[in-house]
Amino acid sequence: MKYEAVIGLEIHVQLNAATKLFCDCPNRPGDEPNRNTCPVCLWLPGALPKLSREALEKATLACLALNCTIQPESAFDQKVYYYPDLPKGFQLSQHHKPLARNGWIDIIGEDGKQKRLRIHHIHMEEDVAKLVHEMEGRTPVSLVDFNRAGTPLIEIVSEPDMRSPYDAMEYVKALRTQLRYTGSADCSMEQGTLRVDANISLRPFGTDELNTKVEVKNMNSIRNVGDAIAYEIVRQGECLDRDEPIVLHTRLWDPEKRVTMPMRGKFSGPCVPDPSVARIVVTDDWLKDIRRRLPEMPGRKAERFSKEYGLTPEEASNMSQEREISEFFEEVARQGIPPRKAASWITTHLVPALRDRDVTITETPLTSGRFARLLAILETGVINAHAAKEVLLQLLASDRSPDEIVEKGKYRQVSDNSELEAIVDKILADHPSDVDDFRGGNAKVMGFLMGLAMKASGGKANPRLLKEIFTKKLG
Amino acid sequence: MRTTADIFTYKNTSQQERAKGGPLAGKRVVIQPNMCARGWLTDAGSRALEGFIALEDATVVARLREAGAQLAGSARMGELGFGLKGDTGAQAIAAGEADIALITDTMGEARVAAAAHGLFAFKASFGVISRFGLVGLVPSIESWGVLARDLEDIIAVMRAVTGKDENDPSMPDEEPPDLSNIGGPLMKGQTAGVIKECLGGLSVEEVRLFQTGLERLEQAGFTMQEVSFQDFGLFRVVHNVIGSVEASSSAGKYDGVRYGHRASSAKHWNEMYLNTRGESFGTLIKEYLFQGAYFQFENYRAFENACRIRGRLVRDTADLFKNVSVLAFPTRRLGLNAAAATSAREVYDAFSLTLPANITGQPALHVPSFARGPEGDMGMQLAAPRLADAGLLEIGKVLASAMSGAERK
Ligand SMILES: [Zn+2]
Repeated sequence: MKYEAVIGLEIHVQLNAATKLFCDCPNRPGDEPNRNTCPVCLWLPGALPKLSREALEKATLACLALNCTIQPESAFDQKVYYYPDLPKGFQLSQHHKPLARNGWIDIIGEDGKQKRLRIHHIHMEEDVAKLVHEMEGRTPVSLVDFNRAGTPLIEIVSEPDMRSPYDAMEYVKALRTQLRYTGSADCSMEQGTLRVDANISLRPFGTDELNTKVEVKNMNSIRNVGDAIAYEIVRQGECLDRDEPIVLHTRLWDPEKRVTMPMRGKFSGPCVPDPSVARIVVTDDWLKDIRRRLPEMPGRKAERFSKEYGLTPEEASNMSQEREISEFFEEVARQGIPPRKAASWITTHLVPALRDRDVTITETPLTSGRFARLLAILETGVINAHAAKEVLLQLLASDRSPDEIVEKGKYRQVSDNSELEAIVDKILADHPSDVDDFRGGNAKVMGFLMGLAMKASGGKANPRLLKEIFTKKLG
Repeated sequence: MRTTADIFTYKNTSQQERAKGGPLAGKRVVIQPNMCARGWLTDAGSRALEGFIALEDATVVARLREAGAQLAGSARMGELGFGLKGDTGAQAIAAGEADIALITDTMGEARVAAAAHGLFAFKASFGVISRFGLVGLVPSIESWGVLARDLEDIIAVMRAVTGKDENDPSMPDEEPPDLSNIGGPLMKGQTAGVIKECLGGLSVEEVRLFQTGLERLEQAGFTMQEVSFQDFGLFRVVHNVIGSVEASSSAGKYDGVRYGHRASSAKHWNEMYLNTRGESFGTLIKEYLFQGAYFQFENYRAFENACRIRGRLVRDTADLFKNVSVLAFPTRRLGLNAAAATSAREVYDAFSLTLPANITGQPALHVPSFARGPEGDMGMQLAAPRLADAGLLEIGKVLASAMSGAERK
């Protein structure tokens, strides 16, 4: 039988607020174990939780970026279960009254058409402590690091609108882009600041049943999300074909073996309203103020880039995916650099260089002014593209001006006819058979000879002049 | 006769506070070990908090110190503040060890303890005193109770501790009662309501005793009015369901991981939890926690219903005050010794007349000797609308002076 997959995602995102959700401890789970703790996040007797204003603001911003409606009143519940990573026998989470409901994200579906994926709700909750299992001699010991306990999370619960691994991956990508734009969250799956749980069920094509779902956890990259879902769809399809019933349970994705394995059922307890945490009542003024802080979001920005700067849809999309890049692009374009040229240089040279170095623009000395100046020098013909690329790499490492780097590094391109002619003559003399080839009609040889000449000039030859000389001498 | 060691969990021998002035200067206050005082053993009367030393003062404790009170120490208390078994706060006053005692009042502990020792007791409105530093059990119901021989001491404590606290954001956003000017004669036209359903379960002798108390109220200038509250019996059920559920959640943090008693051996963490919690809690609190866990895990609907009914009880009680200024109840049943209760049911039996004020969050005042017979003092308990703490204390002053006048005669 042919089945259709019904997929919903529950995504935990760690907010990058300075403090934990209910106390003033730094929100830095990676510090020396148990350094960032206090009576509240250790839940010592007599402590009372104090909701962080910043965390609430960042959560609200994230909800707005995902097109959700902020609820006039929300509240925290105690999710009761006993586990050593929970210092108080319950986790504080907004179970009954979430912060926001009814959002959506648009993706481009596999058919190339826009597809709207709905978000059921977004709630705030605190993260739990980290357990470290070690051996003390031959005795296994479990250690608890409370640095992460109480750090602020939002959980984004989608509607079961996704039908394929592709949908799910696009949803996660789009959600990550939107959230990063708000500056509320870093959203790194590798570092665990964005964690995806997938709920998957199957149904015969053409029906609208909602069947028993299986939850899959432990995917640490977007690709793994796709692979785990794809695996689970096949696995469940085979079960159904064998008439095996699907039972509600949780499975873990094993990225090595590339399979999902059932995990021991984690007991899920009741949710009781917590009378000690203040209710959140949102006023219009406050919400207006948060809404004002919402930046122009990537979809709208891409449209504007196309219109204002004449970028193609693909260029506009590239220039708007990340907020930092989009702002950098716009600053460069405003300094008189042809926008498409700026976009092309950012995509083909700057972004890969940043990726190689695993940094963001702001983490380097590069400014939009210096980048624009480099492109301006390139435009005048003082340096060629090859040299410009070299200069760009230096701009990422020092704060010298592009002009200084060009002068000191002797990057000026050679536009001196006699110098270039000497190079060309030597190459033609050294490669008589290739010259014959060319004259015999093999035009490709020109590229090969040009490459040799460029190399001989140390990359500094003016390519336009070089070509003219070759054409003249071979003609 | 109890010795000092029987009365105190921690006896403060520091001389530091003695010389300080302030409205409570020279007053010795005994607290309970579920109220944090920096450096003091704060075990809430439970092995689950064995050896836990408070890191900082509760807001109430800090405010008492500021007002010049001399903190005599912390008394003994019923485990985690459930009931009065082993409670010695009132005895500390009776034995001359303190002038004032602070007791958490979750179902009427302060008022009932006072009735047994001839003291005044006041339970403040819910939410007007910070709960920061209180090792609580039932957060939506428990309140602070103040006991003293002299009502003026209670008023002075209330003035010192009432009011907003940035460390307790769960306090409602409202103006706390103004206690600055309490005094003067009883305003004319005050009416005391008596809920007839609350008398239903009393013996003939108890009703008779309570009637003498009501006559004294009339002599003090009150007009008496009988009112009906069909659902009076629901207060107890609602308290039991919500109270036990919140207690079960609150006690969830006592797992032996960070402090308190920990079982000596276990094969894995789950067994460590089970053994630790099994060894840490006494049978009475265990029964209560089990009840709460039952509602949490097996019968959540009952908890939801209790929350909904609580809302109705709060509204209906508020309606009663359209016709009366205060409600009068006996404080306790005669022949039921709250301190001797050995089951949750017996605890609830002993507090059936005081717990309504905990459900509604109203202030309640216990006045001693108004309904005293050969078998003991039933107590006269007056409850006012929430936040009417000042008016209730004012009425208390009038009754106190009427009482001392009567005794002089
Ligand atoms: Zn903390």
